[in-house]
Amino acid sequence: MAAAALCWALRAARQALPSPCSGQVRGHYVDWRMLRDVKRRKLAYEYADERLRINAIRKNSILPKELQEVADKEIAALPRDSCPVRIHNRCVLTSRPRGLRRRWRLSRIVFRHFADHAQMSGVQRAMW
Amino acid sequence: STSSVLSTEKDTSTASKDSTTEGASKRQEGTAETPKQKLLEIIGNMKVEVSYRKKLQQLKASEKKRQAMNQLEGLDSKGPQRTTEDIQRGKPLNPDLVKAASAVASSLPLDKKQTESELLAQLRRHEETTDKQKKGETINIRNVISEMTVKKQSPAQRGARISSRISLELDEDGQRIRPERFSSQSFDSRSLKVGKRLNIFTKASTEPEHSLKTVSSPTIWDLEFAKEVAAITAQPPRNGFEEMIQWTKEGILWEFPIDNEVGMDDDAEFHEHIFLEKHLEGFPKEGPIRHFMELVICGLSKNPYLSVKQKIEHIEWFEKYFEEKKEFLQEI
Repeated sequence: MAAAALCWALRAARQALPSPCSGQVRGHYVDWRMLRDVKRRKLAYEYADERLRINAIRKNSILPKELQEVADKEIAALPRDSCPVRIHNRCVLTSRPRGLRRRWRLSRIVFRHFADHAQMSGVQRAMW
Repeated sequence: STSSVLSTEKDTSTASKDSTTEGASKRQEGTAETPKQKLLEIIGNMKVEVSYRKKLQQLKASEKKRQAMNQLEGLDSKGPQRTTEDIQRGKPLNPDLVKAASAVASSLPLDKKQTESELLAQLRRHEETTDKQKKGETINIRNVISEMTVKKQSPAQRGARISSRISLELDEDGQRIRPERFSSQSFDSRSLKVGKRLNIFTKASTEPEHSLKTVSSPTIWDLEFAKEVAAITAQPPRNGFEEMIQWTKEGILWEFPIDNEVGMDDDAEFHEHIFLEKHLEGFPKEGPIRHFMELVICGLSKNPYLSVKQKIEHIEWFEKYFEEKKEFLQEI
């Protein structure tokens, strides 16, 4: 019972019902960490322009320093997840934070699995 | 037996449809017979056939007949638009041509009725052309001859088509799903919408439909129904090409040859991208802010990735920001 409750709590739920007529659509990300990473990416995208402009004010030697200090405070006031530095690439399928191949967005284990089953286009075992 | 006769006749090519439609509109002239009986008459008339040479000879002889018919029909209170069409149908084909037609059909190794009907269609077209010639329009006979094609139907295909029509397999919903596929396949070589209408079935009045649509917006049931229909009609792709077509429609697959500027509808000229000083009117003309903004503009003019709108927004954001900080700046 307790285990079941824990499992239910641990399940990462993303519910979305775009139209009233379609069936219930629920997507689960692999785990909560992946969900958090997704949130960070979305926020970073939203605030990207503002951060760029405030940083342009901060990082130059022409404008007065007082103005730059004010800009510092402003950028610190933005939501913490909006900075792109907090984004960490994860494996798309297993949410593994390390051992990633950036081109395929997959961890090394998954990449190897697919490559061996000939499901990766143009990928071959190296032999020379 | 009449139904079987009709079904076999319907198997013929679209060329025959032309003649049947012509004959069917003859019915519109006011005969009280049922459409089916009229169709049979038309089919009976269709068996009259001509060889191309005799056609021309007959045409010259029949011109006078047609003029007489024209006068007669002009006297009748018909619309002027239908006279030319009515002429051709009103004109009875010469019984001498029957023997020639049957001889021609029997000589050819292909389907008799089909060749007869096609030859009849050719006759009618030629009549039209001679009409035009009389009126003074130029006609290329080569075009007429090039139109003549002989279609071959494999007997297996024909058998499949007939059997598909006769099959009465019903689904749970009372809808025929299997024959739908067959019908869509059997009519691949000829489309359903080509050719004149037979006008055998009376059209249901469309006025109440229009009034209903204007009254109520589509209800949930309408949406459901539309989705159901879309789901049923969207058959899975039969081959790789259809799959690629579906992907292109969805946007998964790009359109080839690849257009690098897809989605980028930047209609602005180069000078709008580069000479951005006119947007700097809201800023003071001297001072560090102006210096800063000129640097910003220099950077923007070298940026090929932003559209002009985005660049203007960029500058306006700075304008707004410095407006807010004006008091603060004046303290300094």
